[in-house]
Amino acid sequence: MTTDFEKRTREVLEESAARLDGHTRSRLTQARHAALAQLENPARNWWRSYVPAGAAAAVAVLAVVIWSGPTQPVAGPVEDMEILADADAPDFVEDGEDPEFYEWAVGEVES
Amino acid sequence: MTAFVTLAGVYNTPILGSVSGGGRIKDQDSMTTSRALDQFLSGVERRAFKIAQLGLRNDDDALDAVQDAMMKLVQSYASRPVDEWRPLFYRILANGIRDMQRRRTVRGRIMAWLPGRVDEEEEFDPIAEAPSHDAGPAKRLELDEAMGVLETAVAALPPRQQQAFLLRNFEGLDVNETASAMGCSEGSVKTHYFRALESLRAKLGEVF
Repeated sequence: MTTDFEKRTREVLEESAARLDGHTRSRLTQARHAALAQLENPARNWWRSYVPAGAAAAVAVLAVVIWSGPTQPVAGPVEDMEILADADAPDFVEDGEDPEFYEWAVGEVES
Repeated sequence: MTAFVTLAGVYNTPILGSVSGGGRIKDQDSMTTSRALDQFLSGVERRAFKIAQLGLRNDDDALDAVQDAMMKLVQSYASRPVDEWRPLFYRILANGIRDMQRRRTVRGRIMAWLPGRVDEEEEFDPIAEAPSHDAGPAKRLELDEAMGVLETAVAALPPRQQQAFLLRNFEGLDVNETASAMGCSEGSVKTHYFRALESLRAKLGEVF
């Protein structure tokens, strides 16, 4: 049940809203039109739905890059064979092994 | 009356996105929704501005809060049933007002450390100077006085009481809608509203 006090305060507030100045009324109308324009041009905002997924993907890529760290140079098979077959590096070939095998392997790789 | 009949028609219209027919039906729905939203927003915008103005005590901030609420309602809730728009709109507005109040508190703390600055003088705006609805001079004076004391008293209420009072009494939401807009229980709404009325009666009893 509404009391006289509630009625009176509502009347005063409604009168206050009705007497808004022209500038404020104009800006409220502009705001309404700007909001409704979103309905007429939804295509402008299509990309917004992809923003969260794009951001998540970017973060995932960044995390993988940071986690894996800088890549180390890896020697290729030819380089390995040259080192093994080098006569100046006998430490790689233990006694009892056949160095000719490595020379043959280098030849196979190069051919 | 015409507006009521038109809105009643809108209430019976299927919501946007619920029709799986051809593009023409969707276009018609979109136009209907746009018209309904236009009617809804034009019907609430002035009261929404007054609510934001009383909460923020700054016209520009109040206009920004109302515009944000309009944008978000259209962007996110245009497809919801029309009778849900009002509580949703005021929920968004209340959140916007609260966020602005928080930002203002933080900004105030920062500005307190900076040297004083003077706001730039505003340019003359002929639209702002346009005369508004006018009653007689005596009536206008009486209303001005009543508005002044009421708005000061309402602005001084704690935020939740202020919200409950303005949504229930000024905007005319029922207890359930107010609870939805404020994000609290109906019991809390009743308590906040009762305390707001008590406080306002104590301050304005003689004037009103």
